[in-house]
Amino acid sequence: MTFLAPWAAWFAAGLPVIVLLYLLKLKRRPLTVSTLVFWQRVLQESRRRALFQRLRNLLSLLLHLLIFLLILCALAKPTFDHFVATGSSTVIVLDTRARMQALDPDGVSRFEKARLLAARYLRDASTSHQLAILTTGSSPAVSSPFTGDEKALRESLTRVSVSDLAGEIEPAIHLAEQLLASRNGEAQIVVISPSGCKIQNSKFKILPVSVGSPRDNVAITRFATRPLLSDPETSEVLLEIRNFGTSASRGNVELALDGKLLDVKPFDLEPGGRSFETFSALPRSARNARGWLTARLPTPDALALDNVAYAVLSAPQQHRVLLVTRGNFFLEKLLAADRQISFELLEPDAFQLPMAAKFDAVILDDALPPGFDLAQTEGNFLFLKTSPFTTPGEPIQQPLVSDIDAANPVLRLVTLQNVTIVRAAPMQLPGAMPGWKFSAPLRSFEHPLMATGSELTGSHRTAALAFDLADSDLPLRIAFPLLITNTVHWLAGAERATPISLQTGDVVPLAQNQTVWIEPQTEPTAPAKPDAKQLARQFFEPTRDGFYRLDQPGGSSWIAVNTFSEGESDLSAASPASLNAAPVSRQSLANLATRPLWQYLALAALALTTLEWWLFHRRRTE
Amino acid sequence: MRLASNAGNFRPVLQTEPAPQLFDSAFLAKLEQLYLVSKKLFRGDHRAERKSRQLGSSLEFADYRNYTAGDDLRSIDWNIYGRLDRLFIKLFEQEQDLHIYFLIDASASMRWASPDPRLSTKLDAALRICASLAYIGLANLDRVNIHWFASALHGDLGLSRGKSQFHKVLEFLRRAPELPGETSLLASIRGFVHRTKRRGLVFLLSDLFDPAGHEEALAFLRHSQFEVHVIQILDPAEIRPTASGDLRLIESETGAAFEVTATDALLRRYHAEIDAFLDGIAAFCLRRGINYARASSAVNFEELVLRVLRDGRLVG
Repeated sequence: MTFLAPWAAWFAAGLPVIVLLYLLKLKRRPLTVSTLVFWQRVLQESRRRALFQRLRNLLSLLLHLLIFLLILCALAKPTFDHFVATGSSTVIVLDTRARMQALDPDGVSRFEKARLLAARYLRDASTSHQLAILTTGSSPAVSSPFTGDEKALRESLTRVSVSDLAGEIEPAIHLAEQLLASRNGEAQIVVISPSGCKIQNSKFKILPVSVGSPRDNVAITRFATRPLLSDPETSEVLLEIRNFGTSASRGNVELALDGKLLDVKPFDLEPGGRSFETFSALPRSARNARGWLTARLPTPDALALDNVAYAVLSAPQQHRVLLVTRGNFFLEKLLAADRQISFELLEPDAFQLPMAAKFDAVILDDALPPGFDLAQTEGNFLFLKTSPFTTPGEPIQQPLVSDIDAANPVLRLVTLQNVTIVRAAPMQLPGAMPGWKFSAPLRSFEHPLMATGSELTGSHRTAALAFDLADSDLPLRIAFPLLITNTVHWLAGAERATPISLQTGDVVPLAQNQTVWIEPQTEPTAPAKPDAKQLARQFFEPTRDGFYRLDQPGGSSWIAVNTFSEGESDLSAASPASLNAAPVSRQSLANLATRPLWQYLALAALALTTLEWWLFHRRRTE
Repeated sequence: MRLASNAGNFRPVLQTEPAPQLFDSAFLAKLEQLYLVSKKLFRGDHRAERKSRQLGSSLEFADYRNYTAGDDLRSIDWNIYGRLDRLFIKLFEQEQDLHIYFLIDASASMRWASPDPRLSTKLDAALRICASLAYIGLANLDRVNIHWFASALHGDLGLSRGKSQFHKVLEFLRRAPELPGETSLLASIRGFVHRTKRRGLVFLLSDLFDPAGHEEALAFLRHSQFEVHVIQILDPAEIRPTASGDLRLIESETGAAFEVTATDALLRRYHAEIDAFLDGIAAFCLRRGINYARASSAVNFEELVLRVLRDGRLVG
């Protein structure tokens, strides 16, 4: 015997209360009579049966205790181990991915049909035939563990809802296999999905139940913004539309900014075709604007989810840079030209190390302060010529650039093959510096020409060039602004900023002071401020499309979330629902005999309560 | 005292006293009217002229007997002597006053207050009935005496005769004592028989709620040459109680408590039990030649008295 809800044993504390109540003497109404002779004669027979009277009282107490114990046992949901060990088990994998939102020609969504199909399986739930429900989204989840309680399964099924997530169904099937691995008896997996199942060699019986019919669908599969390199204040927008249907589709796509229509472009797509639309010269939104970009296909089709896409025009960011130099024409001009950088100039003699913490990046142009200790100093530094990594020795004459780590963010798009360097200071990466990681993305054979290092916690970064800019023709090359800009932005942690566009199911870690409203918005109206439970704090995992508000000390910004999955938008793969695949409920005496034990206990408690009521009113018990 | 020690629940019952208005002027007027009605109903049967079996000195001839020495010579019938030459003594019937005794149960059960506040106690009803019958008796020049009893005979009025004594009767009835203890008919009647030399009519007014039973007491009274009339006075709530539920019954006489859960079934059994009790009394009285009448404290006393007079053949 196994109790599925052992917590009900706590109710056993009520047993002494029943006995105590029983020991309390009944308060009788006093009534004065002229004589007791006749009352005594009437009750003479009962008095002769005093023993039976006591037994009647005892019977009443026993009945009450028995009713209480039966209810207690019913709450504890007992089940026979025999049934658990030898019964059959079924895992229902219910597809809740975004594709399940698609409407069939009869106007009913695939998900509703899938839920109805799943409900037909639940009728067979019993102690000997236990079911579990899994849902699949970006990752599988157990909606209901194994149970024979049909009511609990139905409640669990009612709570399941379709998501905007994309993903694969196979992980859910693997999870179902793991759940079934520890169970004895017959086991099967029912997969209710429009896309079928690709797993062929499972050791369990997999019963695919198809739901939904193939539908034509036109979807927005990409919608992104990026600032122009030439003008960072202005963004361009890329929009991709795909026709997953079997017939040509034409129509218009509307672009709105903060709810106001901005542009309309026509598209004409052959079956399976795609169309790219760009909207250029969109100014970045001001700080007081939301910067919401919404692309919409006004023509309704089977799946409404991918007819709308969201993007955000991010507000411009400014990096504060301190340039410590005795005079560097190229650097000063370059920093002044970058609108995302505000820099200040300082003589090396005036520089003090505590100043560094106030800037996103500090450039020390051959101005290494004496006794500089990288591990003890707050700030992000770019060293030119002299650095903490410089080693004593003869300069390296005319070093050739032999190795370039193009994956390093400071060297993105940077080409240095033709750069001539007259001499470079010898450098050596620190051998063991706790909490730091160093690399040399630019080398002249065994000599590092550039070193980068970052603290493992990500709080501090540093970079060093082994040569003086005046000792090379780098400032004359196009690689110079790219290298310096990349380095400064990397030092300032620009890539660490929270992205403005995500896909459903992405997981984004949040900084300590960042919170995200977990309810998405799609209309530019002022929403009610959420309570603490509706805020994501440590990480953010959106499950629905829309705009999410990010609050941080510098102000609030918005994150656009879209599904953008060809697998979810392609509705041509489904096959018509096969109702024959669903089992016919087997309501038989054998099935009745295997109903959950708690139901019989509750029935017995009800019967005893009725009996006790009858006995009381017949004065058989008191 | 036993009743006093069981103070509390039934004390208000025992505190019921004969109301000052028990024998008011309207009641006295009704008595006179009742007397006239009774005379009309039972004309020619006046008790005051009732002949006794004793021979006396009245003018009514009864019989002759032979003269024996010592007889009063004035009683010799000289006409017979002249015709037969034998001495005969002329005997005359002696007219005697009828003695009417009232035995009133003054136990606590008779003073038990009915649940219906409109009804008087059984003792009040007994006092009214007694007063009515005593008035008729006094008016017929019978001798009337009244005794209280409960566990034993308590006290009496003393023989009274004539309507002029009726005020004395009323005063006596007004001072009905609160007698303690359980009703004991046998002990009370034994005491009455031993104290009473002259036989006559006995009106026993009681609820007959004697745990020891009533048969022996009534049989003893009848055996003692009294003409017995039993008037059993009961309250409707005693015959057909309606209280139900979980009850703690307290007896008015002893204060004894008895817990009972009164259900319809139990009340039906109670009804059957008390019906058998009443039927048993009636049958017993019929067998023993005792006039029996049942009165209810709910019935108007005038109707009650007339019915008692008629049904019980108390006059005739």
